[in-house]
Amino acid sequence: MSSATSKSRHTTRGRPRLYTNYASEMAIFNTGAKRLWILIGFFALVILPFLLDRDMVSLGAKVLIFAIGGIGLNLLTGYAGQVSLAHAFFLGIGAYTAAVLGGEARGGVIGLGWDMAIWLPLAGLVPAIVAAVIAPLAARVRGLYLAILTLGLVFIGEHIFKEAKPITGGAGVGRAPAEPVFLGFDLFANYEVFGIEIDRYTMLFFTCLVIFVVMALLARNFTRSRFGRSFAAVRDRDIAAEVMGVSLLRTKTLAFAISAFYAGIAGALFSIVIGRISPETWNFFLSVDFLAVIFIGGLATITGSIMGAIFVVMLPQLVNALTRYLPIDPGVGGGGLLNVFELQSIIFGVLIVVFLIVEPRGLYGLWLRVRNYFKAWPFSY
Amino acid sequence: MTAVADSTTTTWTLLKEVQQRAAIEGDGVAMRAKRLGIWQDITWNEYVDQVSLVGHALLALGLDTGDRVAIHSENRPEWLFGDLGINAIRGITVGLYPTNPAPEVAYLLADSGTRVLIAEDQEQVDKALAVEDQCPNLEWIVYLEPRGVASLDHPKLLGWQEFIDKGRAHREAYPDALNRIAHDAQPEDIVTLVYTSGTTGPPKGAMLSNANVEFASSVIVNGGGLYEPPPNPGDVILSYLPLCHVAERAVTTWTNAVSGAVVHFAESIDTVTTDLREVQPTLFFAVPRIWEKLKAGVEVRMGAASWIKKANYGLWMRVGRGIADSMLANGGEHTLWSRIRYAFGYVFLYRALRERVGLGKVRAAASAAAPISPEVLYFFFMMGVRINELYGMTENSAVATSNKRGRIKLGTVGEPHPGVEVVLAEGTGEILTRHPGNFMGYWNKPEATADTLDADGWLHTGDVGEWVDGTHLKIIDRIKDIIITAGGKNISPSELENSLKASPFIREAIVIGDQRPYLTVLIGIEEDTVGEWARARRIPYTTYRDLSEREEVLRLVQGIIAKTNEATARVENLRKFRMITKALDHEDGDLTATQKVKRSALTKTFGPLIDDMYSGADALPGGDQSDVIVVSRGEE
Repeated sequence: MSSATSKSRHTTRGRPRLYTNYASEMAIFNTGAKRLWILIGFFALVILPFLLDRDMVSLGAKVLIFAIGGIGLNLLTGYAGQVSLAHAFFLGIGAYTAAVLGGEARGGVIGLGWDMAIWLPLAGLVPAIVAAVIAPLAARVRGLYLAILTLGLVFIGEHIFKEAKPITGGAGVGRAPAEPVFLGFDLFANYEVFGIEIDRYTMLFFTCLVIFVVMALLARNFTRSRFGRSFAAVRDRDIAAEVMGVSLLRTKTLAFAISAFYAGIAGALFSIVIGRISPETWNFFLSVDFLAVIFIGGLATITGSIMGAIFVVMLPQLVNALTRYLPIDPGVGGGGLLNVFELQSIIFGVLIVVFLIVEPRGLYGLWLRVRNYFKAWPFSY
Repeated sequence: MTAVADSTTTTWTLLKEVQQRAAIEGDGVAMRAKRLGIWQDITWNEYVDQVSLVGHALLALGLDTGDRVAIHSENRPEWLFGDLGINAIRGITVGLYPTNPAPEVAYLLADSGTRVLIAEDQEQVDKALAVEDQCPNLEWIVYLEPRGVASLDHPKLLGWQEFIDKGRAHREAYPDALNRIAHDAQPEDIVTLVYTSGTTGPPKGAMLSNANVEFASSVIVNGGGLYEPPPNPGDVILSYLPLCHVAERAVTTWTNAVSGAVVHFAESIDTVTTDLREVQPTLFFAVPRIWEKLKAGVEVRMGAASWIKKANYGLWMRVGRGIADSMLANGGEHTLWSRIRYAFGYVFLYRALRERVGLGKVRAAASAAAPISPEVLYFFFMMGVRINELYGMTENSAVATSNKRGRIKLGTVGEPHPGVEVVLAEGTGEILTRHPGNFMGYWNKPEATADTLDADGWLHTGDVGEWVDGTHLKIIDRIKDIIITAGGKNISPSELENSLKASPFIREAIVIGDQRPYLTVLIGIEEDTVGEWARARRIPYTTYRDLSEREEVLRLVQGIIAKTNEATARVENLRKFRMITKALDHEDGDLTATQKVKRSALTKTFGPLIDDMYSGADALPGGDQSDVIVVSRGEE
């Protein structure tokens, strides 16, 4: 057999369209170029923290966290077509699950101080279970009604978070997040490896990176699976999907649960990055941020979610940098024409509108255009 | 060839080549066929096994040495299994074109006395059943695709699977049967009847023997006559032209067997362009019609490209012209300067262009079977695809001349292969060839054989040629196609026709003028490209006929003819043209199975068009050098 495979490879090498088995046709990274860029991207991410200052490194960690959460929302909204404004609620549940299980009991809040190996998976599972319980309700409505229903969820959630003082510390007070101690290995200590100093920000970045890579690959794989395809079927036409034997209830429940799992993980990590969590964090505007991630990045693409996360997290930094050259007040009040936050909101709003009208496929769609232009080279079609 | 193991004699057969290869690298890939979206590997062991099953199955059906078995199918692995399986029992393979209509099927089956027909699908089975009563010898029809056939209840029908099962049972009962037959194989054994396309009269079955095939394989495959350097197991071939034609048999079956190059079967004739892109063959053989289509495809798609891409194409094709010129001045080889220019162009255009067309990995390409316009060859030279135009015909096992590497002369068919004698007959200039590849004669047609193969062993090709620089052969035309005008001038119509067909808009051009005062031409347009052209100019049309008769299209054709006229002498000028308002078709008897125009049939069919030109009536759509005739048709 070895000679067959080696020879078979010999005559298929350099012929990316010559599929001799279904596995290669279905491969996640089906072209050499994709494999190469993924590899380059990964190495760049590994080296990056050593070249940037610690602010930028924590910002990088935030990008990764937003990407994880964005992927979760994209599975639900982009792939399964279920609009959800409740993403922040599930992030919150994930964050508090982690905090209760992995945090310290101090200042009247519950904290069990368990290891990260326990609290991290549970931070995903608990929101997933909550979502699975709520999903049968959400599965009964669609479109605008679903948006309203999930909107209600955010407000109910925010209220519960404010009142459940033993868990959340209550409104305006908040609590400390979970301790990132993985199998007794404190991720918040400073380390030295081969003479290179690795500070806690870099450690956190790498932790997020590993989790992100695993979750992104899982999502990418999931979308090619039977369930992933049933998501798309439900999105494109729920009645047609049901006629084909795709159970709407099961599919939507699964979509909500998986989405909430991603949200929970993102929430737990997010709480560590921001350091102290108050119930107000998990509000409607955080949900909108995530919607922006997937709308600007591109619906129904994993790569798009990542692009969107980079964009949404980095935009405020860009605006800040611009303030030096524009008649804008860098502070909150007085001075120039606008303040930074107002400008940010304006840019955000304008961009979402522009993307929805001009390129509904988002940043990923823009990339596709560029790629197809050169893919068709030297023709136009 | 090295001596073959124990029980077999030293007679060379194609099957032994395959068996030897299987013995060395049995698990290596011999061929691939696309099924259900995937290119499925077929190893040398599987190949040999299938061939032996076919052989045993034929024995089980009671066939004997020298019996004829016909294959009526598109290219697919079973074609090769059948072909070699038939040879395994020393039978004779008769190939039928998939496009052969029922009456021709009847003629071919009856003429060859075929006992078993291997038919691909319902379409071919229906043809055979329709003419069953005219084929007294036909005993079995083995079908490959059961869809639509399995439900038919006919005593002669047999499914491929059942057929193979019979073979398996027979092999268990008589495991040594094929070996004993192989032992008796002789070099003179007829292995195949290749029916000539028959532009005049009914097709004739040319008999090719083991010795013919051995010589042809050694010269055009391993000798580098077709592709230089010769094919090897790392090469990739796409098989898509009809396998019953000697050229495709040479580039698929023979090349695969003697060189080990991996054959890929196109999914169907309609998917060739896609298959070509997927397979990216290293060796590519095409007939002029295919090369013309590839060129037209590039030009049409380029015409629709954005301006940046157009400019890029324009720039690098201009550079390509320079590269082609310096290569041709150097016998088809790169010079240092042309290589440098090519390297730059490769980045910006040639690599992508070739990849998109499916010629990205082509290291050697060839054109044969009909005359090709040098302009088309030149076009591919510009993007770095060197096409070797070669010459050969069924009757000499496709062995005669080819353009050798480093000594390419555009517009010629090259120099005689080593061991091949080529001379021009005194007076007529007819090309004569003599070598071990000359065929055994026409099946059951001794007179026709005597006309073609003379006592000294010279094959009269029926083509008129001339020597260029004393070394390279240039084909003028078929003897019977040469036009002698009323003024006594000898004119080769195919040269003019090819010059017209080099335009992407012209599909058929038939020059007329034998015994006439001046030359005229019948034009058939290429519907795809002209349709595209018309759409871009917002010219409305309904049917092929309507499109052909549009004034704008007539002017377009007039312009193309004028361009050809500029390059020729006055006597060779095409004074008038008329439009053929139907797409020519094999089914209707306008074309042969190889898409060659049946001149005699056409001059009869289109008699009114011709009369219209020479009587000066000017009543039908067409034109002359200064004006066009638009015929308005009322509401019908």
